[in-house]
Amino acid sequence: MKRLILLLFVAVPLPALAQDAGLAEWQKIFEVFSHPRCANCHTQDDHPRWSGAHYGGARIHPFNVRRGPDGFGNTGLTCQTCHQETNAEILHGPPGAPEWHLAPAEMVWFEKSSAEICAQIKDPARNGGMNLEEVAVHVRDDALVAWGWAPGPGREPAPGSAQETFAALERWAGLGAPCPQDADE
Amino acid sequence: MFSIYGAKPYLKAHEMRLTVNGKAIRIDAEPEMPLLWALRDLAGIKGPKFGCGIAACGACTVLVDGAAVRSCVLPVGQVDGEVTTIEGIGSSEALHPVQQAWIDEQVAQCGYCQAGQIMSAVALLNEIPAPSDEEIDRAMGGNLCRCATYPRIRAAIKRASDTSAET
Amino acid sequence: MSRAGRITRRVFLGTAGAAAAGLAVGYYFYRRPFPNPLEARAADGEAVFSPFVKIAADGPITIIVPRAEMGQGVTTTLAALVAEELDVRLDQIAVEHGPAASAYANIGMLQDAVPFPRFDDSAMVEMLRSGMGIVGKFLAIQGTGGSSSAIDAFERMRHAGALAREALKAEAARRWNVEASGLTTASAAVTNPATGEELSYAELAVDAASVAYSGEPGLRPASEWKLLGRAQPRLDIEAKSTGAPIFGIDVDLPDMVYGTVRMNPALGGRMRGFDAAAAEAMPGVLKIVEIDTHLGHGVGIIARSTWHAFRAAEAVAIEWEEAPAALDDAAVWERLEQAVSGNDGSTFRDDGDVDTAFADAPRERIVEAEYRVPFLAHATLEPMNATARFRDGNLHVWAPNQAPTLLRMACAREAGIDQDRCTIHTTSLGGGFGRRLETDYAVYATRLAMEAGGRPVKVTWTREEDTTHDTYRPAAIGRFKARLGADGLPQALDMKIASPSIIASMLPRLYPSLSAMGADAAIVDGSYNQPYTIPDYRVAGIKADIGLPLGFWRSVGNSYNGFFHEAFMDEVATAGGVDPVELRRRLMANYPTALGVVEKVAEMADWSGETAPNRAKGFAFATSFGSWVAEIVEVSEDSGRIRVENIWVAADVGTALDPGIVEAQLMSGALFGLSAAMFEEINFDAGRAVQTNFHDYEPLRIHQSPKVEIAILQAAAKMGGVGEVGTPPAAPALANAIFALTGERIRRLPLAREVVFA
Repeated sequence: MKRLILLLFVAVPLPALAQDAGLAEWQKIFEVFSHPRCANCHTQDDHPRWSGAHYGGARIHPFNVRRGPDGFGNTGLTCQTCHQETNAEILHGPPGAPEWHLAPAEMVWFEKSSAEICAQIKDPARNGGMNLEEVAVHVRDDALVAWGWAPGPGREPAPGSAQETFAALERWAGLGAPCPQDADE
Repeated sequence: MFSIYGAKPYLKAHEMRLTVNGKAIRIDAEPEMPLLWALRDLAGIKGPKFGCGIAACGACTVLVDGAAVRSCVLPVGQVDGEVTTIEGIGSSEALHPVQQAWIDEQVAQCGYCQAGQIMSAVALLNEIPAPSDEEIDRAMGGNLCRCATYPRIRAAIKRASDTSAET
Repeated sequence: MSRAGRITRRVFLGTAGAAAAGLAVGYYFYRRPFPNPLEARAADGEAVFSPFVKIAADGPITIIVPRAEMGQGVTTTLAALVAEELDVRLDQIAVEHGPAASAYANIGMLQDAVPFPRFDDSAMVEMLRSGMGIVGKFLAIQGTGGSSSAIDAFERMRHAGALAREALKAEAARRWNVEASGLTTASAAVTNPATGEELSYAELAVDAASVAYSGEPGLRPASEWKLLGRAQPRLDIEAKSTGAPIFGIDVDLPDMVYGTVRMNPALGGRMRGFDAAAAEAMPGVLKIVEIDTHLGHGVGIIARSTWHAFRAAEAVAIEWEEAPAALDDAAVWERLEQAVSGNDGSTFRDDGDVDTAFADAPRERIVEAEYRVPFLAHATLEPMNATARFRDGNLHVWAPNQAPTLLRMACAREAGIDQDRCTIHTTSLGGGFGRRLETDYAVYATRLAMEAGGRPVKVTWTREEDTTHDTYRPAAIGRFKARLGADGLPQALDMKIASPSIIASMLPRLYPSLSAMGADAAIVDGSYNQPYTIPDYRVAGIKADIGLPLGFWRSVGNSYNGFFHEAFMDEVATAGGVDPVELRRRLMANYPTALGVVEKVAEMADWSGETAPNRAKGFAFATSFGSWVAEIVEVSEDSGRIRVENIWVAADVGTALDPGIVEAQLMSGALFGLSAAMFEEINFDAGRAVQTNFHDYEPLRIHQSPKVEIAILQAAAKMGGVGEVGTPPAAPALANAIFALTGERIRRLPLAREVVFA
């Protein structure tokens, strides 16, 4: 009987603890995804963004660079016209990684809230049809994603690392992948 | 004696092989040297010009397997494909239709950006033979012209597209 | 049989107005012709007719166009001046820039450097102008600037063509034993119509040039022109459409090495010390050299390629000293505000009695505004560069430049040699805009050449070095005040403009021991000399003390006075309830040429027609460099973004020698002006320019460009310049259009600080 009562004490707050721990993991992931090195190419409209202290904030990528039909730019001015497989060595030169392109518009993170990004990441209709394990592996292994942590001279890297973000995604998924709520929900 | 190699022992470990304008060439360059400078300073190919070094002006534009690329930020060791410069799209005996259109419209003023403009236009027209104004804007926004000869660039692209449409 | 064609001197008299009073000796030197620089270089079998024409026995006819080709088309138009009289086709000639020489002095450039409006042709002002012509001949500066090349060359080069033609006819006459007056010339041949016999210029040249020809051939009237007045296919267009290696940056010489410079970004500051060990150890690096000149302090790199030099330059550890003028933006504005608030200026226009006119003015009749513009960079697309070779005490410099004789002086001085041991080779320019009137790029290349063991060194600046070591278009403040009459028209205008003096900045760079004194009319150029008839009209310019390096930027003082003056006239129109175009009709009634372009542009743009709800137009006018230009800009708005849809330009240039090239230049000038108005700004921090490349200094691009429509008028009494004249009205026309669209006056450029452009 005593064990039953003890169990009750443990069972009731456990989901709440798991929720808090999960949200803490998500917060780390959100800080990566919302960082300019990631969010600047996770835009919804036609334009990537540039940001840096000397621009005074995020701005639309100049030169009329646009998404194009498939996220790889437009004929005559594709992303890879300028963005090569490695970062340009020169300050303010274009960053580079294999297959430089924009994330699909449904994977928008730029100026999105934590709750919004969380919902998108979990939604197979908007995350490229992946389960959370696949998302985590993608973040750990993809060469273009990896760029976020080695962005070239003069750019602040995303927090942590690919490995750490992968681990946070795994832990977050294990804790039930909770999403925060927006203030007005 | 003032040796081009200085006092350091010179290692011939940097031989880059490229195909440029249909010809195989060998360049003695570190793999991280931008293609622009390998072409201009080592291979004597001066058509692509230097304007900014950060892919912001387009003066250095070449084609790699037909796609427009800013050669000032493409390391010569990463070139994967055939390189075409302005020298390779036509000769004075047989100008490329885009070059002829550029001449017919009297586009160039100082002319420094025009090799890059023409290469971008060729890349555009190869894929979109009759581009709209919007498509022209989206292809050419990376090519800066300080003399602002843009209205004639646009007219020349349209002229070249009419010509190619006829053939 | 070949003979050198220089048995008799064929020299050429520079043109000038009537000689003003002067010493007899001075008059002698003034009238004595300049030596012909071609004669010393004439090859065997090459006939030199003048500094502008040489014809080889084996065919080539070469015309010397001793002006910088920076896109404005001098190569074609000045050659056409000769060809018109010489009776050759443009496809029969080759054009060379020629050597640096006094014979190629630009007299026309100085004749209009008198501080009076160009349309003022009173006797006194004309005398001052011819005085400047004499000064010009003494100074003998070969320069390209001030939109003056065609005006300067108009008589002189046609005359050169005519002289050569007559000498060739005279030779043919001698051979055929007939009267020269009966012979005709066409397509580089002399024909005897009576017999049908023909002799080519090539066959006649050497003998023709060896006999003194003393005739004074008249020049053909415009009604007989075959080339001039028509659009010609540009002579440089194919080279520029095929990437040909015509620019300074393309120079390629045997045994050449490559270099770059890295100078103190704190402008004018010295270098305390440097450690080149890391840079010297890098592959491809040959030598690191200290550069210590009055133009700048820093290091030069010599390497096996430009890229190796660029990389090594970054690796040199340098300790810089502070700039002598370690100003930031706040300090600059403070000094400009102080200057414009004070009364230390020079008055360049003072009609009527401005103080009285304002004294009793009711508040509601006063219009007041203050305008501000920033420093601007030239940003020629070809960065600064020069190639130099110093061998056996002789210096050769290859450079895109706008002032070969100044370059020769500065480089010879750097090398410690006499000027006659210094040869300047002027290449095509990938943009000039006034930047290449300076000598720094050539002086630094000379320094490196002295350290290169006789090998030529091609020295190319990075874009960052170019942007941060410019000679900037100065920032300026204008405070303008108007008193309106009961009819809404301005009765009185009071304008105060403060800016640092460009010539005071530039002169010591050329002549370190000289300093410019006196008033600087450039500060008010474009405000004091506009054709408005207003009873009380005062314009004062105040020199601000800002020790940053300043230079001539396309249209110079007009580049900001156009904005100040015409944005203000728009405010005056609004306050007075008068349509801006109607305002000009009334105030410029005494200047039919001005009215001509005003009416024309209003018609082109359908100024008084219906405008769509999200569109609006703005108008501006400016006379500069002798031409009269009116512009209208149309803007549209969509989702808070402004698009510049159209720009219409009506320009009266007096005589359009080549309408195709004139049209191109007007378009270029106008869009260059829009570019600066919309986006361009150089900020300063501790005497260092903040912007470095095209990611943060953003000239206009194709998708931001309006459609352009140009009309060329030729009613003006005098030939006016073309290269710069499209620029001054562009910024105010756009700012005025934005006001018409949004109701908001923007009085500070660039406009992108306040609005978002699509």
